[in-house]
Amino acid sequence: MPLKESEAIVLRTYPLREADLLVTLFTRTEGKVRGVARSAKKSKKRFGGALEPLTYVRAYWDDRERQELARLDSCEVLESPLARQVTYPRAVALGHLAEVLDELLPDREANDAVFRLTLTVLEQLAGDRIWMPLTYFQLWMTRLVGFLPELSGCVACGAELNGSRAFYHALVDGLMCAEDKRLASSEMSRESRAVAGEMFRAPIENFAAVEWPKARAADLRKFLVQTLERHLEKKLVTAGMLERISC
Amino acid sequence: MPNFAEPMTRLIDELKKLPGVGSKSAQRLAFHILRSSEDDAEALAAAVRDVKAKLRLCSVCNNITDVDPCVYCSNPTRNHRLVCVVEEPTNIGAIEKTRHFNGAYHVLHGSISPLHGVGPEQLRLSNLFRRIDAGEVDEVILATNPTVEGEATAMYISQQIRRPAVKVTRIATGIPVGSDIEYADEVTMLKAMEGRREL
Repeated sequence: MPLKESEAIVLRTYPLREADLLVTLFTRTEGKVRGVARSAKKSKKRFGGALEPLTYVRAYWDDRERQELARLDSCEVLESPLARQVTYPRAVALGHLAEVLDELLPDREANDAVFRLTLTVLEQLAGDRIWMPLTYFQLWMTRLVGFLPELSGCVACGAELNGSRAFYHALVDGLMCAEDKRLASSEMSRESRAVAGEMFRAPIENFAAVEWPKARAADLRKFLVQTLERHLEKKLVTAGMLERISC
Repeated sequence: MPNFAEPMTRLIDELKKLPGVGSKSAQRLAFHILRSSEDDAEALAAAVRDVKAKLRLCSVCNNITDVDPCVYCSNPTRNHRLVCVVEEPTNIGAIEKTRHFNGAYHVLHGSISPLHGVGPEQLRLSNLFRRIDAGEVDEVILATNPTVEGEATAMYISQQIRRPAVKVTRIATGIPVGSDIEYADEVTMLKAMEGRREL
């Protein structure tokens, strides 16, 4: 059987047996594929640095009959996260992308929009400038997997929120007006809602020159992470680490 | 699994917990121990007990040792103002094999790994910073692995050190000696070009 070939993004690797690695790839043509890279732990000859998380590769694999795991034959690096400086904030941001993609994407279901989104966000993730690409990724990812609620109306009464205060709560699927907000709700600023609107209309490159400290749209990011975690029914490990980053 | 006598089953179950040991290997090892002499079995049991009872971390560098400070930290012929930071105690052996490094070590016992929830606070960094603050160090060599996690760890430590009196260096990455450039992967080649030096 001929080898399958696709552009792919390496999401995670786990040690398997003595010298093998279990690799999760997000391939362009088949979505999330899990496969075994034989001897990848012991010998770096065939895979080199291609199996580092978030490396953009051209992957070659074959699916074995009646076996869930593919056999990863080789990977050719197209873009490596190691080509640019890996600061601590960037490492956590890369980890967050990998975790969100791994948790949200179903096996063997191609999703070209998410693939393109990931590539453009990876391009923008450099040095300590992580908050804009992360906001863009979380916002679009939540929308593309269908978890993003309507941001312009109150989820309880349906009133328009444009121009008025909006609140969110970890257990509520959407924004609420001041009258319907729950106890211990947090407010999402008008600026952050405007940022979301802008990000839906423009490519990520348009925001590249904008100064983006951690505080900017932090409430929007928190809302998006809560939305994702509510649907996943679990906490995202990297979300807590991102919160603790001080810059 | 066939029904073995209870002590045998217990031994197999314990051996199965070791990395890389499956049911079959555990059985084979258990039967080997059963057939070995009383002295050999006792020596094995004593070695396992001693590892847990006598080994601890060096209070200076976190290396695994039976004497505190460890052999590297207590050796007066070594340059203690030159500290090489490694991820695991096993990395020390690789550097010692060169027979060209005469400095001291610092073992982190891991690296920053966001996907596993490991941040800088989980690494053993405090005694390194104490040594630096006490003015005992001139140069820190960051010898973490050339992976995303190792690079992030090295970058984090270098940013935390930032003192004019302390030189911070990173080990080089590039083409392995005796290999062929033709077969080097893209990232390694890129790093080798970046790290080129003047002759």
